[in-house]
Amino acid sequence: MAQQNSYLPTVPRGPGRRHHLEKFTMTTTTPLRRTGRKAVALATSLLLGTAAAIAAAPGASADDGGGTLRMPIAGIGIDSMNPFLAYFAGSLDVFAGIYPALNTVEQDGTAKPYLADSWTTSEDKLTWTFKIHKGLKWSDGKPITAEDAAWTFNLIMTNSTAATANGSLVANFASVTAPDDTTLVVRTKQPQATMLAVSVPASGIPIVPKHIWESHVTDLKNYKNDSFPVVGYGPWTLTDYKPEQYAKYDANKDFVLGAPKYDHMIQQAFKNTDAAVAALRSGQLDYVSGLNPVQYKALKGQAGIKAYETVGNRWSGIEVNGGARTRDGKQIGTGHPALGDVKVREALARAIDRATIVKKVRDNLAKVGASYLPPSLPQYAWEPSGSDKFDYDPAKANSVLDEAGYKKGSDGIRVDPKSKRKLEFRLGIHSDDDADAKVSTYLAGWFKEIGVKADIQAMSSSKLNADLAKGDWDILMDSWSTGPDPTYLLGIQTCSALPDSKGEGGSTDSFFCDKNYDDLFLRQQSAFDEKERAGLLQQMQAILYKANENIMIYNANGLAAYRTDRVDGILTGKADSTGAYPPQPSLAQYLNAAPANASSSSGGNSGTVIGASAAAVVVLAAGGVFLMRRRSSSDDRE
Amino acid sequence: MADTIDVTGAVAAKAAGAPGAGRRRGSAFPRYLATKLVAAAISFLATLVIGFVLFSLMPADPVQSITRGRPTSDAQMAQLRRQLGLDQSVPERFFHFVTDTVTGHLGTSWEFQQPVSSLIGDRLWPTLLLMGTATVISVALGLWLGVRSGWRQGSWLDRIATGASLTLWSVPTFWLGMILLITFSVGIGPLPGFLPAGGMSDPAITGGLDHVLDVAEHLVLPCLTMVLVVFAQYVAVMRSSIIDELGSPYLLTARAKGLRDDDVRRRHAVPNALLPSVTMIFMHLGTVLGGAITVETVYSWPGLGQLSYQALKVPDLPLLQGTFIVFSASVILMNLVADVIYRFLDPRVRAQ
Repeated sequence: MAQQNSYLPTVPRGPGRRHHLEKFTMTTTTPLRRTGRKAVALATSLLLGTAAAIAAAPGASADDGGGTLRMPIAGIGIDSMNPFLAYFAGSLDVFAGIYPALNTVEQDGTAKPYLADSWTTSEDKLTWTFKIHKGLKWSDGKPITAEDAAWTFNLIMTNSTAATANGSLVANFASVTAPDDTTLVVRTKQPQATMLAVSVPASGIPIVPKHIWESHVTDLKNYKNDSFPVVGYGPWTLTDYKPEQYAKYDANKDFVLGAPKYDHMIQQAFKNTDAAVAALRSGQLDYVSGLNPVQYKALKGQAGIKAYETVGNRWSGIEVNGGARTRDGKQIGTGHPALGDVKVREALARAIDRATIVKKVRDNLAKVGASYLPPSLPQYAWEPSGSDKFDYDPAKANSVLDEAGYKKGSDGIRVDPKSKRKLEFRLGIHSDDDADAKVSTYLAGWFKEIGVKADIQAMSSSKLNADLAKGDWDILMDSWSTGPDPTYLLGIQTCSALPDSKGEGGSTDSFFCDKNYDDLFLRQQSAFDEKERAGLLQQMQAILYKANENIMIYNANGLAAYRTDRVDGILTGKADSTGAYPPQPSLAQYLNAAPANASSSSGGNSGTVIGASAAAVVVLAAGGVFLMRRRSSSDDRE
Repeated sequence: MADTIDVTGAVAAKAAGAPGAGRRRGSAFPRYLATKLVAAAISFLATLVIGFVLFSLMPADPVQSITRGRPTSDAQMAQLRRQLGLDQSVPERFFHFVTDTVTGHLGTSWEFQQPVSSLIGDRLWPTLLLMGTATVISVALGLWLGVRSGWRQGSWLDRIATGASLTLWSVPTFWLGMILLITFSVGIGPLPGFLPAGGMSDPAITGGLDHVLDVAEHLVLPCLTMVLVVFAQYVAVMRSSIIDELGSPYLLTARAKGLRDDDVRRRHAVPNALLPSVTMIFMHLGTVLGGAITVETVYSWPGLGQLSYQALKVPDLPLLQGTFIVFSASVILMNLVADVIYRFLDPRVRAQ
């Protein structure tokens, strides 16, 4: 849902558009004259000051040589540096670099050691024993032990503030203990197949040093974690952070998974992708991601820059309100009754020409969508086969509706035989999302061809979410991404995600609720065999596909670029590869990145800078002197 | 000159917001100040109520927005609702809001889970720096151009200044910002870029003077964008005020005394024509804190405008209310200052 690269609307420029030209006169002139002259002097000196600053400031990051990796802050930024509270991708990305996790997830989805060297499960699958790597030290020199991990998990399990961000990940934990410094024992209430996704970098629980955090438990809610350098462990140590500006790191050359190849890293906040692209081109950044197709194509041919695609970890599509209800079955909201008919939803799915959208909206930098889980999780991938496919076929869509008794009225819009209401649906889109606007226009046109009217309503994300939760919607455009473990994404389609009897709570995404789906969801949670689990997830996706309450349109490829003259070893991946788990950059990307050997740098800039600025200063100074001289001479003459 | 006062006195009094009865002598300054202070306090309270009502009416579920996309259980969401005080009734929330505000507490942001006052504090200085510098420069530039354009109405300077300023005034801010950003940071054609593309400083540069110069370098583009867009209003107002003065008899008198044209303008015409501009400058100073969302976004400037926009998305009510309080307080304060300053600048306000 969160869109990063959207333009903001232009705001009115304060109270000035209409000028009030009342007539004022003054009887005395002396006081104002002084003020006026002082103001002029002040302004002149400021102008000169600024110009001098330009002249003296060093050229754009001229001297960082090979020592500093310059990255943008991920996503929409950092909400908090407290790992128990933070939700934003930018924060999780920071934690991945400065706090350890039990294990990592490789690009192919397999778990690999990090703090834990190895792990075993008991016969009954309820006890997990992790062997913690010996001899690792927090950045302040104190040893990292199993007790740190046990303390972190226990705090989240017992303290509701500590559970703010990651409480659901330990919901199935019965107990966590550390019998000795290198052994961590986790007992779960039910067998949990996703254990190796609980404490992974970025999307899992970061483990914090007990000796530092113990004293902050009482004021955890207000603790900003801002005494630098932050005591942690990872490839980096956070040495400075300014909200909305930057985070600075020193490399940890003893890092257990290999030393970073840079000595320092800087992450800078860019509030719009166009500016980040400009910063990449001017050398202020070494890497950008989250590009849109236009930015990507523009960077594609640039010398010294490599623009590349990664496999999509996100679906974009529409959600259809097939009957909003509470957990106990009470109807809520104002959804159109006809959408409860699976035939109507099938017709909608068949009316969408996904290939055209991929081509026109995403410039072919996307995959036609079908399955609920994105292509970045190839191990769980599922595709509809032959006759089950709801391909673009307006004729078929029309005949489905005809057969189901939805007759066209004189205006070409079909009428629901039961409720007697026209098939006129609200189509909610994100007002700050460019792609939503384009896609919805296509959809409205295609729906019209099958006798369905779509009324496009652009809203803020918060309004869309609020309407969704109350069931006050017909069709919504939506988009979701996922980390390495898709449990949450699948969980928002279960019956237990519906709101409670008062219509509150719940995290349902489309009011989908299906008994078979829920059974499969429960089974996959304790399916320890990866193959078996994949099979269950595929069956679940098939159920979702048939219901057409979540109609996938496309999976956008990740688009990123980096400077080949500055940095080497960036994990580029491919759009059609066997999967690259994109949130991984926080750990693997920054570890792999190495200074490029190319000696040619964009050093030519600084000469021009100095020249141009010096000229500006001279002109301004000369102007100032001239004005002052003229003024003083005329004063004299008087 | 007495006849001019008669014509415009009523308007001036109204604009200055002087209390109705006009017979009292000007010596009662404390009394004048007290009425103004009371009026300011009342306006502030009124904006508090309006702010609360408006934000409470916003249709949204903040907990949904905050947790969306993160694995969150029902229990966590319920806990979050309690923590945020969303389980309280509206009157209860209003009571807490007013008592907190009056005692100087701005609450805790829902989105950032930090005290609102520290979030605002972090961003106050960048906003003041950007908007303050831009306002000073655009006032100076605008007034200077306005005076000269008005004085020689129809001259080439007048035509260029008026045309250019109005063109820039009509240009969308974000568009101009992007164009300047691409031109000066990336470079166009053979011209290399030489200014930073965003942010407030280069984190790699530390230490006293280098840091100051680095911030100044980062300030150039956002400041230039702001100035180019807003200076037109000062040009327009100043120019028309000067034109209004052109035919005045006191200018003839001044010339008859043998003053040079420049001095007639500087010493007689400008001071008399300055009041509308002063009004506008103070109106503007009040809104300086509000920042400029578009400029801050284009140049990734870590300011208050940016913060309130982020708060609006959730919506993060404590943060929104906090920024709202700061913005309205600064507008009210600046109006108060303007009222007081008028008394010294304009004898007619004093005379009432």
